[in-house]
This record gives sequence, C-alpha cells and structure tokens, in this order.
Amino acid sequence: MRSRTHEAVLPYILLLPAFLLLVGMLYPFCLGLYYSLTSYYLQYPHLFRFVGLGNYLALAKEPLFAYSLKFTLGYAAIGVIVQVGLGLGVALLLHSRIVGRGVLRAMMLMPLMMPPVITALMWKIMMASTKSGILNHLLSFLGLGPINWLGSVDSAMVSILIIDTWGNLPFVALILLGGLQSLPYEPYEAALVDGASGWNVFRFITLPLLKPFIVLAATFRVMDALRIFDVIYATTVGGPADATMNLHMRAFFFAFQWYQMGMGMAYAMVLLALVFLASYFLMGYWKRAAEQTTT
Amino acid sequence: MKTHSRWLAWVGLWFLALACLGPIGDAVAGEASGLAYYRQAKINWRQFEGQKLTIGLNKHPFTESLLPLISEFESLTGIKVEYLILPEQEYFSKLVVDLSQQRGEFTVIMTGPMRNWQYATPGWLAPLDDFLNDPKLTDKSWYKLEDFFPGLIAANRWNMKLGGGVGDGKLWSIPVLAESYILAYRKDIFDQHKIKVPTSMEEMAEAARLVKKHAGIDGVVARGIPAASTIATGFISGIKSYADGKWHESDEKLNSAFHDPRSVKFTQLWVDMVRESGPANWANMTWYDAMESFATGQAGMIADADFFAATYEDPKKSKVAGKVGYALVPPGPGGVTYSALWTWALGMSKATKNKEAAWLFIQWATSPRTLLNATVEFRNYNPSRASVMNNAQVQKVMGDWGSGGYVKTVQENLKTARVGWVPNPERTRLGDIWARALHEIYFKRATSEEALKKASAEMDKVLVEVGLKK
Repeated sequence: MRSRTHEAVLPYILLLPAFLLLVGMLYPFCLGLYYSLTSYYLQYPHLFRFVGLGNYLALAKEPLFAYSLKFTLGYAAIGVIVQVGLGLGVALLLHSRIVGRGVLRAMMLMPLMMPPVITALMWKIMMASTKSGILNHLLSFLGLGPINWLGSVDSAMVSILIIDTWGNLPFVALILLGGLQSLPYEPYEAALVDGASGWNVFRFITLPLLKPFIVLAATFRVMDALRIFDVIYATTVGGPADATMNLHMRAFFFAFQWYQMGMGMAYAMVLLALVFLASYFLMGYWKRAAEQTTT
Repeated sequence: MKTHSRWLAWVGLWFLALACLGPIGDAVAGEASGLAYYRQAKINWRQFEGQKLTIGLNKHPFTESLLPLISEFESLTGIKVEYLILPEQEYFSKLVVDLSQQRGEFTVIMTGPMRNWQYATPGWLAPLDDFLNDPKLTDKSWYKLEDFFPGLIAANRWNMKLGGGVGDGKLWSIPVLAESYILAYRKDIFDQHKIKVPTSMEEMAEAARLVKKHAGIDGVVARGIPAASTIATGFISGIKSYADGKWHESDEKLNSAFHDPRSVKFTQLWVDMVRESGPANWANMTWYDAMESFATGQAGMIADADFFAATYEDPKKSKVAGKVGYALVPPGPGGVTYSALWTWALGMSKATKNKEAAWLFIQWATSPRTLLNATVEFRNYNPSRASVMNNAQVQKVMGDWGSGGYVKTVQENLKTARVGWVPNPERTRLGDIWARALHEIYFKRATSEEALKKASAEMDKVLVEVGLKK
C-alpha cells in the first residue's frame, strides 16, 4: 500500500523541477502579455489602465511597425538561407578528407565562444569606413571599395548579416557535420557499386538523408534571426535611417529607452508570435522529415 | 677606535629602523588624518550607526574613485554600505524600475539634471535642501556648498515646472563632475594650412572642408547613432549658440519647435558639413567612436565633451597629444556661445528608509577631500568644486593641455554654459526623435524642413499621449 502511493507520487516529484522551470518561464510571459494589454508607463504610474487590444491597434498606426515587421521577416528568410547554405558547405568540407581537418574543426568553433556583443564590436571596428577599417584595407588590394559597410542605408543589413553569419555559421556547420557523420554507409556503398557520380550521390543520397538535420539547424537559425538584437544594438542601433530596425529593437526602445512598457510588450508579443509560429511549422516539418528518413 | 665603530653601527641601525618604519608611520598617520579631516565637521557622524545603505552606481571614473574609500566612510559613521555597479544603459533601466515601484532598493543614486526631470516629476526623488539646512546633519562651513561652481548647482535645481524652471526651486542632486562642450581642433593642421579657427557655423563647415582638402583626413567628426546622445553635446551646443540662446526645442507649454526656421537652417548646415567632410560611417558613430577617431588623428575637428581632452592629451592613448587646440563652439550672430552642460550628481530616492544616513553618505562623497581624490587619483574630470579645479596638482595636469588653452577655454565656456535641454520628462524620447530626423536629412530622405516638421508632430503626439501637453 505504502509503496503504491510512493509510486503514484514519484513522477510528480521528479517533474517538480521541470514544473518550477515552466512557472519561471510562464510568469514573465503572462506578465508581459498582460502589460501588452495595458497602458503601462514606468514614468507615469497614474496612467496605468487596461486597454484591451488598444496597443495592438496602435501598432497598426505606428509608422515603423510595418517596416520593422517586414525587416524582421526578410532578414530571417535571407539569413537562414545564407547561413544554412554556407553551413552545409563548411560541414561537407570538414567531413571530406582534407589536410588539417582536426585543426580546422577545432578552429571552426572559435566564433561560438565569443559573446555576440564582442563579436559585433570587433566587426564594427573592422568594418570602419576609414582607412583604419581592415576590411576596406584588404579590399583595396583587390582594387575594390571602400565600402561604407554599416554606415550606409544600402549595405547596413548585409553587414549585419555578415557579422551574424560569422558568429553562427559554426553552430549550423556543427549540427550538419554531426548529421553527416551519423549517416549509414550502405547507400553510399550501393552508389559506389552502381557507379553514381559525386553530384548524384550528394543530390539523391546525402541531401535527403541529411534533411532532418538541415531542418533542425534552420529552425534554430530562424528563431534566432527573428529576434536578433545584440549585433544590431552594438553596431547600428537600428540605423542608419532605420535601415536595420527590427521588431526586437523597437520593443527595446519602447520598453527600456522610453519606459513605455505597454507598447514595448505589444511589440515583443508580436515577435514572440512570429517565433512561435515559425518554430511550430518548422518542428512539424522536421518531425515528418525525420520519420521519412528512418522508415 | 672600537667604541667609535660601535657608535657608528648604532647610528646606522637607527637610520635603518627609521627608514623601514617611515612608510608604515606615514600610512598610519595618513589614515588617521583622513578620518580626522572628516571629523572636523561639527556633526555627529556616528548618529546613524548600524543603519544600512544600498547605493546604485553607474560604471564611471567617479565610481572607481569612490569604491576604495567606502570602508573609510563605514569606519567614520558605522553605517554599512552595499553597492551595485552597472553599465550605464542597464543602470538607468534598473533604476527606473526600482524608483517607479518605490521599493527603495537604491537609496543614493547617480543622476543628473535631465534625469532629475524624469524622476522628480512622478515624485521619486527626495529634495536635498532640508538635509543641507539641518545643522544636526550638515556642517555648512565645513561642507562649503558655495565651493561648487554656481552654474552646476543651478543645473541640479528645478522647480518642477515643465518647459522651464532650471536653477530655481529644490536641489535634487549634488554634482560630482561637470562636462560642457567645446571645439577641439588639430592646431598643427590648422597652422600649417592657415585655416581659421571657426567663429561661426558657416566657418566651421568651411574649416572642415579645408582640412579634408589639404590634410586628406575627415574634416570633422561627430556622434551620429540614431539616439539622443547624438544631439546632447556638440550639436545642441551649436544650435543653441547659432540662435543666440533664443531658440529652444520646445516652448514653455512643450510645443515642439524643431521646425523653426533657425533650427531648420542650422540643422541643414550641420548635416551638410558632416556629410561632406565627416566620416562616411557617421551614422554609426557613438561618443566613443568619435573621440577615438579624433584621438587617433583621423579627423580635424570635434565638438564634444571638454574632458575628452584627458584622452587627446594622453600620449599612451592618443596620436595627437600636444597637437590639439581648444576653442568655444562657434557662437551665433550675437557672439556668445551657449554650451550645453551635464553633471553626474548624487541624489536620493524618496523611498529610502534611512534618509539621514543616505544624506551623510552624499555629504561625505561630495565633500572637498573626497572629490579632490576622485580627480587627482582617478581622473574624474572636470571637477565640480572650485577648490578641486584650483588645486595645484589638478591645475598642473590640465594646465598643460593645449598649452594652457584648455583651462582657459573651459573657464570661458562655463560662464555661459547651461543645461541645453528644456525640462521635459520625455527628454530621451525627444532626443531619439530628433536624432532620427538628422538621419533622414543626412540620407536625403527628406529636406531639413520636412524632417524637422515631422519630428515636431511626432513629439507633440507623444506628449499628448502621456498627458504632459494638451
């Protein structure tokens, strides 16, 4: 009898840490959601009242909302294609028998060890538009440039993407390299016997088998790219002329520069919804891809 | 002979002993005289013994200077001090959260004129006058409030009227350092190419053009990130001077006036100058980037914080040490420069339970001796007290800058310098909107007039929304 109650209670006890973690995450989320439905200004406590969807309706009239939404989505789309594409290339390279593979694999991890803000500041210095900017200095040997990397409306987004890619490519490459190493030998042996070309092996064996890993890496990258903040904050602060203004920067400005929590949280909730939707669909896709490759 | 040498040995030993003990003796005397200095004040420092204070501090040279001395305050008063140091951005966010909930977690805070408008309006700050005037808490003849530069104390007074009233009403905080804004220029380049030190905005643009043409470096460098800090120094000093101190970003009813013709004209001149002769990545320039660019010899002029001179003139950090001249920001037709002003200052949260103990801390931290130490040992420039400014050691360091031109320029500047902004709790928002307008003009998305008109409308909307304006 006693052991039976023990058995009944045990799962709950084991789940307790997870439950506490859930509460720890849900509480700020619910509070944020609630604030997004209020006119909460830190500086003017007397203005606090419940406004329903007022903040969300105000977003529609906010001059920078549509723009920052478009930027956020566009950046995530381009970012994930570039980063997963390049990451796949790097993973294939490090999977092949090249000289110094071990050293290269270890070196590849270095950007992951750097805090994103430090990465961004380092790149900001390298991307200086003046002669001291090392990138422009290098380009000058090729007879190119100088490029006004972060300082012009046209190239700021690409520059942010370069910095972001440098910092996160290793993560994508690591997942895909792990995937490549776990692929079964048999299909490759069969292809070898059939005399399939290298491209066909990649196109019809590697790529389909690797799909779950690609989708997994893409999911993480989409989520991160949607809510990119540190790189932008440390380099352009959303400028020049709002060229790199995304939803996260906007939420930050409202909540922590202007202490307008209601609007700030409304921005944050829209961002959260995007991240949730994107990861929901991508995880579903991942599950299907994983089932396909295992059956 | 034998006795003679023994005698000599004794004398030698004595000297050795004295030499060894000397430094220890000095140190002991130093500490005792340190406390003794504070004990000269005719107040009972120990009247709040056993109480506890939490101090919120921003990462800053003044903070660095304070930390090693806090134990001295604790042994002087028996008050226990805990502190939290955060980088500026995080500090201000955390501070507003603490103040707005009136938790009183931070008792003594680092603030300043523009911040006081933000915190005093909702009633989060405790005014300091009552503590200053209470003979039980303050020995006025020892503390010497009159030793502070009057303009700096005035900057921290405000009568709570939006749109005006600086220098009037309650004292909200006590300044620990001051910055005003001056023009630093490359004297070597100006002399070599016979470029005139500018005395008007038009001349400044011309000088920038000439430096770029002759020396092949950026003629001028300025802050440019799309945030209030871009406005707060050289730009606001320039625009207020250009209009002879008669134009302000808003009137006493907080109606925005960015689109006033004087503002439109100056902004056009400034942005054209920066676009034509400034760094290509102006739009990303923080204060640090701008200062660094000038210090590494990549620009001919910079109108920014006066105390950046400490960096320009430090050969370890700068390639232009000894080559810099200092002048006032160009005045308008009236011939007078109206530089803006900022002071970091210590204030008190109203939610503080141990207000008297907190005051003792503020009094101790802003006393002549503590502030002198901050400047001499930790390069806390510029001093807010005349006695610190006139200290021989301080004068020796600053007196060399710009072959004496620095001290003269700063003293001249402080005669007319005043808080640059119109009192408005939404100052940060206003500055952000203003800076974004500069970006629109710089990138030719809009004319100066259009962009500033839009900025006025946007700011007015914000003020109506929060009920500060009808």
